[in-house]
Amino acid sequence: MNPIERRDFIKGAATGALAFTVGGVETLLTPREARAQNVPFRLLKANEAETIEALGETLVPGARAAGVAHFIDQQLSVPPGEALLEARILNVRPPYAAFYRAAIGAVDTASKALNSGRDFAQLDPGERHDFVDAMRQNKLQNWKGPGGSLVYLVLRSDAVDVVYGTVEGYDALGIPYMPHIAPQQRW
Amino acid sequence: MATNDKAEVLIVGAGASGSVYAAVMAKQGKKVVVLEQGPDWQLSDLTSSDIWGRRLKPAGGPFILEGKNPVSYGFQGGWGVGGAALHYFANFPRLLPSDFRIKSEHGRAHDWPISYQDVAPYYDKVARDVGVSGDAKAEEVWRPAGQPYPMPPMKTFRNGQVWLKGFEAAGIRMVPAAVGMNSTEFKGRPACIYDGWCHVGCPIGALANPLVTYLADARKAGTEVRPWSTVTRVLTNDQGTRVTGVEYYDRNKERQVQEANVVVLAAWAAQNPRLLLNSATGKHPKGLANSNGLVGKYMMTHFASGTSAIFDEDLENHMGTTGAQYMSYDRYGKTSHKEGFGSTFIVAGAALKTSGLGGFANARPDLFGADLDEFMKRAKRGFSRITAFGEELPNIENRIELMSDKDELGMPLAKIIHNYNKDAQAVWDANFAEGLQIAKAAGANDVWSARGNMPTIHLMGGTIMGTDASNSVVDSYGRTHEIPNLYIAGPGIFATAGASNPTYTIFALSLRGAEQLASQWSTVAG
Repeated sequence: MNPIERRDFIKGAATGALAFTVGGVETLLTPREARAQNVPFRLLKANEAETIEALGETLVPGARAAGVAHFIDQQLSVPPGEALLEARILNVRPPYAAFYRAAIGAVDTASKALNSGRDFAQLDPGERHDFVDAMRQNKLQNWKGPGGSLVYLVLRSDAVDVVYGTVEGYDALGIPYMPHIAPQQRW
Repeated sequence: MATNDKAEVLIVGAGASGSVYAAVMAKQGKKVVVLEQGPDWQLSDLTSSDIWGRRLKPAGGPFILEGKNPVSYGFQGGWGVGGAALHYFANFPRLLPSDFRIKSEHGRAHDWPISYQDVAPYYDKVARDVGVSGDAKAEEVWRPAGQPYPMPPMKTFRNGQVWLKGFEAAGIRMVPAAVGMNSTEFKGRPACIYDGWCHVGCPIGALANPLVTYLADARKAGTEVRPWSTVTRVLTNDQGTRVTGVEYYDRNKERQVQEANVVVLAAWAAQNPRLLLNSATGKHPKGLANSNGLVGKYMMTHFASGTSAIFDEDLENHMGTTGAQYMSYDRYGKTSHKEGFGSTFIVAGAALKTSGLGGFANARPDLFGADLDEFMKRAKRGFSRITAFGEELPNIENRIELMSDKDELGMPLAKIIHNYNKDAQAVWDANFAEGLQIAKAAGANDVWSARGNMPTIHLMGGTIMGTDASNSVVDSYGRTHEIPNLYIAGPGIFATAGASNPTYTIFALSLRGAEQLASQWSTVAG
């Protein structure tokens, strides 16, 4: 790692922030802050982000506000070797954006087929719950894309990360974080 | 293309095995170069976070995973200086004598070309080199006596202690786990502070990762570690009788050649076969060291039967280490379970975090939404698990093969094909059944088996050791049968898998191989 990149890398890890683009300027923010500031997405289209937020919130309450879509979007914009996504551990083959796009497409296509043309984000909470429960068991009709159980696992992991995997998440559960090297801004 | 000054020893991979070779050979005064495909991690990079810890893992490696039980490459592998040993759990159980004689004693699989007694002195040496905490005397109900560990056992916590009653009821003796961690200060490295972040890298050096042990020694003795260097081929002379170096690509994706007297492939059980197969020449049309067709064969993993439980007390399950507090070989006998053949190694008492594959959010992967939130609140107080690792017997059909698709450097991708057999499935099931009994006897309120896809842990094999080229790729030192100055190091040379976590044995076999190379230098190096 060259010295400049290395310095940035460490800075990001230490502050717990990721590099987002705000007004054309690279700024270090947590995904929660990025969402609160309505930072534009780098790769995701608005409808894709909406689907991710709806999925995230269904999987883990609080994921929307914790910035799950901004987290995924930012991570899809960096080289795979720098990505912090659980997809990396789950043997998803880069580029990861291809997986997420295929997953979102499969979710919305299946949702439309099952729910009178409505995207997943347009479903009510009960319908979303039932849809996700069927998806995780690979029981959805009209499913075209990566396996439903894998999509469930990957998106659930992302939502878990932003809600329970942060210093804030540990605090909310009452678990001492006890870091060696602390993510200073609660990430 | 650039050519670099010739090295005497060239090592591919800066993980557990490569670092041992580098330390031994550099201390002999040899010019040692280590090529590592990933970043040059420092201790200060090891942020305490499951999210940030993923930087230490392979990024969608060049392996396509096939079979009924695909290998969990992304979770197991490493990327960058330190390799997988930068994020390992540092459980240090040994193999047992029976592991080396499985064919002789049971007519199954194959024997190792060496015995436990050949490796035992190196287990003891490694313990003195890197620091091991444990109670060797307590282990000697299962294995021959050896030297005491240099440090006393680690502290135990309620999340491990709570299981002891259940194990006792099952007639299973638990002893302090042997771990590559410091229970006290060791060689200037501090004692562990038990905050449970071992699995994302220990930045204080209390855990014996390569950066603070053999690789530190190697660098001090003059070894050059060259990160961002991806080796694609091992090169040979015109006669095909000796290796002359390697081809690699640097950070700018420029082709380089590094010549050397001796090449040691230490790039893990998956990448070593890929390199050998991709190094085919007219003299070695099937790949280097592969005239018998055994390169890439006999890939092995461990399977784990995790038993989960919620107890009605605050276990402080975030405390401790990611390694175990207690361990047992009481089900290690190959016929311990009448249902299936193979060893089982049991551990209890690992610290738990919230996220990541090992986090307790994944203890009930079926839960989501409000149900998951409710579970998290209960689990953070009283959740704990025990794990029984099982032995997979070597099967020649579990293998690595090159594919026609290529990576960005033009190197063929490889596929890893892996299926468990009936014995593995039966032992896995038997360990689940016993785990439930243990958990209930321990007094847990809520008990369940962590089933799902049968896990694949600790990749081994692919370049196994044996007596000669009729049955193996390398000899007991890791030297290939076909090319005298080409060595292979790491779990790929294991002849069988046993059920013990492999890294202690990786260190021991690498030390044995490196010392042999040093002692035979003039013969080997030519």
